[in-house]
Amino acid sequence: MAGADSPSAALRRRDLCARGIRLVGKMRSDVIDLLDTYMERQGLDASANVAAVEGVPPAAVERWDEQTGTQRLLENLAAYRAFRALLAQMLEEQREQLGEADTALGRALAAVLLQVSAFAYHLEELLRLESRSPPSEEGDGPPPQPRLSLFEQKLRGLGVLRELAQWALRSARDLRQLAKPGPGTGSAPSLAESP
Amino acid sequence: KNLKCTTHNLHKMICTWDVSSRRRHGQTDFCYTTNDLPPLVCFKTKEKRVEIPVPESSSTVTITTNSISGTAFATKEFEIHKKDVLFVPVTPRILSLTPDFSTSTINLKWSDNGSVFPYGLDAFWQIQILRKETMEKVTEVTYYSKLTHEDVVLSWNWTSDMPLECTSHYAKIRCYINITQFAGLKDWSNWSPVEVLPGKDADPSGSGVFPLDTVVAVGSDVTFCCVHEEDENIINMSYGSKPYPMIQLSSRSYAIRVLNANASDASGTNVVCRLKNGMMDGTVLFVGYAPDIPQNLSCETPNFLTIKCTWKPGRPSGLYGKRRTKYSLFERMSGKNVSCEVNEMNRERVCGFPVLADQKTYDFILGVSNPIGQAESSLLVDITQRVHPKTPEKLTVSESNSTSIHLRWFINGSFAEIRLLCQIEISNGHSEQKLYNVSMPGGKFSTYTVQLNALHPYTKYQFKVRCSAADHFWRWSDWSRVEEHTTSEA
Repeated sequence: MAGADSPSAALRRRDLCARGIRLVGKMRSDVIDLLDTYMERQGLDASANVAAVEGVPPAAVERWDEQTGTQRLLENLAAYRAFRALLAQMLEEQREQLGEADTALGRALAAVLLQVSAFAYHLEELLRLESRSPPSEEGDGPPPQPRLSLFEQKLRGLGVLRELAQWALRSARDLRQLAKPGPGTGSAPSLAESP
Repeated sequence: KNLKCTTHNLHKMICTWDVSSRRRHGQTDFCYTTNDLPPLVCFKTKEKRVEIPVPESSSTVTITTNSISGTAFATKEFEIHKKDVLFVPVTPRILSLTPDFSTSTINLKWSDNGSVFPYGLDAFWQIQILRKETMEKVTEVTYYSKLTHEDVVLSWNWTSDMPLECTSHYAKIRCYINITQFAGLKDWSNWSPVEVLPGKDADPSGSGVFPLDTVVAVGSDVTFCCVHEEDENIINMSYGSKPYPMIQLSSRSYAIRVLNANASDASGTNVVCRLKNGMMDGTVLFVGYAPDIPQNLSCETPNFLTIKCTWKPGRPSGLYGKRRTKYSLFERMSGKNVSCEVNEMNRERVCGFPVLADQKTYDFILGVSNPIGQAESSLLVDITQRVHPKTPEKLTVSESNSTSIHLRWFINGSFAEIRLLCQIEISNGHSEQKLYNVSMPGGKFSTYTVQLNALHPYTKYQFKVRCSAADHFWRWSDWSRVEEHTTSEA
């Protein structure tokens, strides 16, 4: 694994982490707003119980503390790539089902999709900073979804947005973890060694 | 005793009888004459049932019952008159029972066995549809047909008031043939064996809410059902946000009935079935209107390249996305059909159709359809009488002398087949405004020129122009941009 960071790399990482935390914070508030709009427009209520969405890694993780920095970034990246694909599919379904009838919901979905894409790119930047090339995208992303009924599509959309809101929380925590300076060296631990 | 003869085909009849004695008995000697003419026909039978010809008038029958050892112990003679013979058609058999889940329609096919009977007899078919595990009768209809001395497959459709997936449906049929020339008694056939159309609740892994993602007209009554797996239970079923009383169809299927459905939102109204395990299943109902007949259909050409048709859509359908109302423009003479891209949210409706070579008259049919219904409007139009040119462009002024100028402008379009009438508005600072009309041959993507004389020297003028068809005026183009010019001093 690479030796201790150079001061500029540490500074760069801290900057990227800080910007990432801001980006994911904005994304989370937009997702929360979108969730309200989505439920209202799709006639769902908050009590709707949705099964785990196939293809999206759950935000909850066991032994969060024991994860290495690289694991954090790789898991985050896999999740946001999956969200990117799922949100793109939601947008396509929304256009197919509603056409021009609900462009506001469409625009809100597109805005969140943009932020998810931006954050995925941000995570790739962080990985590259550690001279770690991001995993290729072939074969990545959720498996081809079976043809769902409209109600199932609505529930899946709700599940995606709920999980995305959870992931935004987790990502902020992960990035704060990554941004922490290492013990005694005045620089953040290189990703592989972070506790 | 109780000798009874029944015929299924007017030629042969099956006679049955009872033996009143309790003694054990062996074979029976059965003898008969037809129409009381020899020969006497006799045979032995173990059963109390024989098949013999239907008599023209009557038959005499002698039945001798023998003991186990073969000695006769009872003999009875009967006179069977044709009028005592009972005609009962052969029990019909359902050939196929086919569901169309999208329309909740069952198609039932059966053979009328007509070849057995003379041509032209009236036949009546009673069909029963039954439902649920308790096989409750849902409907009974009488279907009429005429026999043609051939075996004809008859077909009948029935639309259920609930999705066919909800629970098993059953069908049975019987018939009555009105044989006027048969003097005997007549009765309905037996019921056919029951044919079943299994519902999802008969499928061990079957579950779901039905109908699935369907579209109905405002005011419809709709039955929804929730079929759940064996070890599950339903807590409640709701339409929109309102729970509805549940009707049990079977141990695994419950229904709710929504009456007089209101228009749904763009994303449809959810029908949700909440299960004990906390999960939800559901479907979406889209409730909207069939398209109105398009009003004020009007078509014109701006440039003799395309024809632009507009209309008033009438009441919005309330259906969007892939369920939206779709428009197509069909032209009868050329047979050409164009589908129109229409934005449901925008009130104005426009559709373009290409001007066809050597065709001036167009017989348009504007077709409008959505999942609930369709409508159409038609219009016969000669496009040379419906010219609405585009706005004149590139208006320029060039001076001949202090009192005369040339105006030039360009019109995008191909007007070679008509004459144009253009109107020039001349105004100057003294609020003097004149309109000057000029007619000229149309051109193909041409520039047009007009000379204006008798202007005042050293005067500032504003010019603008608009054009239309000269011979069959339809509509003016919009005014061009204003072009200013000050004439030189005299």
